[in-house]
Amino acid sequence: MEDVKPTKVIDARGSYCPGPLMELIKAYKQGKVGDVISVYSSDEGTRKDAPAWIQKSGNELVGVYTRDGYYEIVMKKVK
Amino acid sequence: MSPSAKKVLILGDGAAGTMMGNKLRFHSDPSDIQITVLGNSEKHYFKPDGVSIPFGFKDYRNSVKPTRSLFNFGVNYVRETVASIDVKNSTVIASSGKSYFYDYLIIATGDRFAYEDLPGYEKAASHFYSLEASLALREKLNHFNGGKIVIGQASIPIQCPPAPYEFTFQLEQYLNLRGIRKQTELHYIYPLNRVFTIPNVAPFVEKLMDDKGIIIHKMFNVDSVEPEIRRLNSIEGETLDYDLLVLVPPHRGQKVITESGLADESGYIDVDRNRLNYADYDNVFVIGDATNLPISKAGATAHFETEYLANRLANEVNGNAFFESYGGEVACTTITSGSRAITLFFSYNKPPRVNYESKSDYFLKWTSSDTYFTGMIRGIM
Ligand SMILES: Cc1cc2nc3c(=O)[nH]c(=O)nc-3n(C[C@H](O)[C@H](O)[C@H](O)COP(=O)(O)OP(=O)(O)OC[C@H]3O[C@@H](n4cnc5c(N)ncnc54)[C@H](O)[C@@H]3O)c2cc1C
Repeated sequence: MEDVKPTKVIDARGSYCPGPLMELIKAYKQGKVGDVISVYSSDEGTRKDAPAWIQKSGNELVGVYTRDGYYEIVMKKVK
Repeated sequence: MSPSAKKVLILGDGAAGTMMGNKLRFHSDPSDIQITVLGNSEKHYFKPDGVSIPFGFKDYRNSVKPTRSLFNFGVNYVRETVASIDVKNSTVIASSGKSYFYDYLIIATGDRFAYEDLPGYEKAASHFYSLEASLALREKLNHFNGGKIVIGQASIPIQCPPAPYEFTFQLEQYLNLRGIRKQTELHYIYPLNRVFTIPNVAPFVEKLMDDKGIIIHKMFNVDSVEPEIRRLNSIEGETLDYDLLVLVPPHRGQKVITESGLADESGYIDVDRNRLNYADYDNVFVIGDATNLPISKAGATAHFETEYLANRLANEVNGNAFFESYGGEVACTTITSGSRAITLFFSYNKPPRVNYESKSDYFLKWTSSDTYFTGMIRGIM
């Protein structure tokens, strides 16, 4: 993870499901192929929903990380 | 009017603004609080009936009242369009050019349909989120004799998150009554990995859909529509062809909110979730669909918010102690078939539970426009 630097970070801490996932989808739509998008979320539901969406949409799940009081989900836009 | 009376200015004459003005009037004396509501709608439409009107199940004329007739005595209603809001100088300017000064401001301007967010939407889709759209859809359904119907929402958030499934269940009933259910495929699309936002209600709704033979497409986030070939494309790379597309349009907050610097491009205002204050302003509040709160955009939400805020303002102005806070309460009843409905109660800390459909809940929902116009909107309940 440390060598994959996000091109965009979305801080959705404090926002509840489905807010963080919708923010991620918005950033995905606005971004370009190759972008690495990271979303911070304190919402438990997003930890499962966001990776499921990343996989379904055919993008690359870089990782799901437990940080201090929140989760970081990182994806790479491949299409 | 007493010169020392505090001026409360409410922006918006829909569910939240009207309830707020009427409720505050009940809680306070005109010599202490002067209430003005600015709004630009001639008619007040009870939107929950939109899930029944397209099928002719309800007479739409009972769902509409002249806006002006809904304000209680002592509430000053002015037909104005708000052009800008200047919270630093406690001033609101209307498009007539008139300025309104306030001691307390309550923003209740709701949200709007952002058709521009999905090019081709208006050519491709029908919906049931306004009276005009519901009546146009009724006309389309009258001429529908079978085929493939795709139902869903263009994005999140929308008003009343359960309305799309509520509409779908009534559509299913309508097709059965007309004897064309067998000739019709019903497809339900949803942006998430389930069929409803709230995780512990979704399986219940999904089971009802399965029982009724409704085909579900989860994680279908609408990317584009192609009206010429009647095709819907998802961000996830799927396509769905349709004969009739019923799609709740994209929503955003009002332009005046963004233009006044109160919110980003989404138009929804960040507020204190327990006090409903805007930013650091002790005298500016936001209620109803205009907020960015992580709860349903519903008339029932507005009802609980106004209950809290009217009490709080009345006590604050009169110098009384007030220790309550708003807990994110919502209650909503949604129709699931021709004779049954479910009711969801929840708050910030308590997710809703749903176990069974009931006939009494159906009755509650069926008569809700009467309850709304005679009690709720008047601030009585
Ligand atoms: C199909 C459907 C079904 C629904 N079902 C339910 C249900 O079962 N239960 C439930 O609780 N809720 C339901 N809702 C949601 C409910 O109707 C809304 O949440 C509610 O109307 C929100 O109230 P509001 O006052 O915030 O916004 P609105 O009612 O939209 O009112 C906003 C008002 O502000 C005015 N306004 C906007 N901009 C300006 C301006 N610049 N100047 C002056 N005036 C302005 C508008 O004219 C409008 O009158 C449903 C909604 C739909 C569409």
